[in-house]
Amino acid sequence: MSSRLRFDARVFGAFAIAVALHILGTWLIPGYSAPFAIRALLVLASLLAIASIGQTLVVIVGGIDLSIPFIIGFANVVAAQLYGGGMAFSLVCVIVALGAILIGLFNGAVSAGLGLHPLIVTLGTGTVVQGAVLLWTGGFPSGSAPPAVSAFVSIGGSTGPLPFPPLVPVFVLLAALVALVLARTPFGRRIYALGSNPRAAPLALIRPVAMWAAAFAVSAFFAAVTGVLLLGFTGSAYGAVGQPYLFQTIAAVVVGGTALVGGRGSYLGTVGGALVLTELNTLLIGLGLQPATVQAALGLVIIVLLSLYGREPAIRSTI
Amino acid sequence: MGRIVARLGGIGFAALLLLVLLVVNVWLTPGRFQPSGWLLLLGLAAPLIGAAMASTPAILSGRGGIDVSVGPQMGLINAILIKVLVLDFGIAHPLVLVPAALLIGALIGAFNGFLTTVVRIQPIVATLGTYLILSGVTLTILPAPVGPAPVWLKSLAGPLAFLPLGAVALSWWFISRSAWYDQLMAVGSDDRAAFTAGVPVTGVRFFAYLLSGIYAGAAALMLSALIGSADPNVGPTYTLIAISAVALGGVSLAGGRGGLLGAAVGALDIFLLQNALTYFNISTFVLQIAYGSILVAAVVLTALQTRAVAARVQHV
Amino acid sequence: MPEPAIETRDIVLRRGASPIDERVAAGSIVGLAGLDGHGQEAFLKTLAGLDRPVSGEVRFERHAVTGFRQAVARGIAYLPRDRRATGIFPALSVLDNFAIATLAQDVKGGFISARERRARFARYAERLSINAPDWSAPITTLSGGNQQKVLLARALALAPRLLLLNDPTRGVDVATRHVLYDVFRELAREGMTLVILSSEIEEILLLCERVLVFREHAVAARLEGADMTSAAVIEAMFGRSAA
Repeated sequence: MSSRLRFDARVFGAFAIAVALHILGTWLIPGYSAPFAIRALLVLASLLAIASIGQTLVVIVGGIDLSIPFIIGFANVVAAQLYGGGMAFSLVCVIVALGAILIGLFNGAVSAGLGLHPLIVTLGTGTVVQGAVLLWTGGFPSGSAPPAVSAFVSIGGSTGPLPFPPLVPVFVLLAALVALVLARTPFGRRIYALGSNPRAAPLALIRPVAMWAAAFAVSAFFAAVTGVLLLGFTGSAYGAVGQPYLFQTIAAVVVGGTALVGGRGSYLGTVGGALVLTELNTLLIGLGLQPATVQAALGLVIIVLLSLYGREPAIRSTI
Repeated sequence: MGRIVARLGGIGFAALLLLVLLVVNVWLTPGRFQPSGWLLLLGLAAPLIGAAMASTPAILSGRGGIDVSVGPQMGLINAILIKVLVLDFGIAHPLVLVPAALLIGALIGAFNGFLTTVVRIQPIVATLGTYLILSGVTLTILPAPVGPAPVWLKSLAGPLAFLPLGAVALSWWFISRSAWYDQLMAVGSDDRAAFTAGVPVTGVRFFAYLLSGIYAGAAALMLSALIGSADPNVGPTYTLIAISAVALGGVSLAGGRGGLLGAAVGALDIFLLQNALTYFNISTFVLQIAYGSILVAAVVLTALQTRAVAARVQHV
Repeated sequence: MPEPAIETRDIVLRRGASPIDERVAAGSIVGLAGLDGHGQEAFLKTLAGLDRPVSGEVRFERHAVTGFRQAVARGIAYLPRDRRATGIFPALSVLDNFAIATLAQDVKGGFISARERRARFARYAERLSINAPDWSAPITTLSGGNQQKVLLARALALAPRLLLLNDPTRGVDVATRHVLYDVFRELAREGMTLVILSSEIEEILLLCERVLVFREHAVAARLEGADMTSAAVIEAMFGRSAA
């Protein structure tokens, strides 16, 4: 009972810190709560939260995915290149999604099937994917996103009467769906069970390799979605556009209270974590800090936050 | 005996790959592999070997133990040594710089150890935090590369290249004979059992991070010697490649299995691989693809080999 | 003898060990005894399809057992020995731990129905008298005995016709033990076949109609009726003649 309360407290804590940071920002920086600034914040947080969907699943199942930034770059560049070459955008999306899913399936199946650490496997496949994309484009990708994608994520956009681009409400629905799938489907429950006790899982009719493959495929798919959305957001293709997401997805998941040892956590927490990171970044840049200093401060704040509520149990209490 | 078999079993593949790569490299570029050029090559490979060895103790300590801040540690120490001590304060004596490098490494290692074992933040996230802090601080004190490094320091990448690597190897040789080493391996393979058996798990793990930091200080000296200047952007690139080298060298990322020798062999593999691929003058993009594929193939083969060995042992 | 529920056709558990040719009648309770590591656990796992015999074949209701998932699909359930290592999912709730092997049964319109799941668990909670104040709390909030009952409920939810129990009362308090014994007898009366491995001879004598005593990965003695005494089992365990 107590652990459930503490668990909810972690999720609540992430949102509380996001709100506190926002209040601090509004107090310190003029215009921090201006409609445009809030829209920008929500768009950036939504993008990070979408990229972190898969990381949440992968971490709950007991793994970690370092290939996310590379797949974001892959989707970003390939989509632009194909669409720029005159292909129908729907077909482009199918190709990009299938490519990403195949990479994800490989990551999960190889890690679980051979008992390899996913850190190395995903780093290896990520490196290959990035190299292949660079080779294909010669390092200078071209092309752009269809206007519809740009409008979908544009900070200045609106959705009917809502003052946000469609990305924000669509993301809210998506987040609810992800939370529902994790909490109320056999797939979701098996993900938690496998992460909680990998040795007991096969005896409970859970297929570890299939589950890992599925979790990493989901991760790759949403990384690809993020890559395409980023194409609409920035307007042009850029292979390294995903790099900040390498550590940020992990940080969002952990700040949201999901334990890296597997079996515990929630997507709602990750959304809170994504908000915290976006608020922090915006706040620090708004205070006029240099990018290098922002980075250092971000690292420090992540450590402070986790030492407040992301602590692991002492070994004494795990016996 | 069992210990030796277990150790060599892990690095078997990396050692075989090393042999093949050596033959290929000597065949491709005989000029570079003349005995007279060995020290130069060693100096060239040293920072990666040092980074891989520095990454190892934390990984050996198990339960997700890892230090992803090794690269930025090397970067920051490089910046402090050359930019702050040598250029700003004019202190260039080896008896100051060498202890300073190791001391800063030890301090950062102790900080990481404190975060992961006392505060108990998951190691990859804690050291990721350190990663961001260190690389941020490095860029703040050193926005652009400056130089040069003192002559004696540069010689550590030339005629004296064996010195820093030898010192690390020797220290590890002594450590691997200590009670702490046995405790580290016990904690790494099963921390609960070790704790129940009375091993001070927290202290053992803390020292592993401390040691990773000290070795990162040594690796920073190797890096400074090689580049002969202070450069804020080189250090962080070593982190992931060093961890790859460690995995390639048969060190289990789950902890408790492997050692510095394996890590060094894995790092040499990667160095020789890059060297051979560069010879073909192919684009860095192909190099990257080859590097990633070989990394995955190598860990897959190592896993299969470990399985085959385990299966054989079971049937006897 | 009625149609056997499960039979082993000359299975060899380890190279060099004598083959085991055994039939277990439907609706009976058979015990497995032996010193630790003498093959009784390997035998039980072979019945479950978890281990493969060196040679020979296991047949359940006239079909060969080829693997664990296939065995479960045909009507076999297995309760593992080490509750903490291979039984419970410590981070998950009591309900999750109960339903994890039979998740599809609660799905309505694509999602798990919480009401369905609770109703299903309620039946087992009553039958096994599971003492769990909060079904949504992690399973680790329960006592060892109640955790074991939840695991038994998980196995029974598969509606098996053959139940394989690997030391089911290990680390369970006396009161809970007797509840479990009653449940096992009742299940057998309803027609379920039970094979129980136990490290306690008394338990086997109390529950089983027949006991197989293992020594060196083979059956050293088959005892039933008046021959099934503590002394006879111990003698067979240690490889002394029954004389």
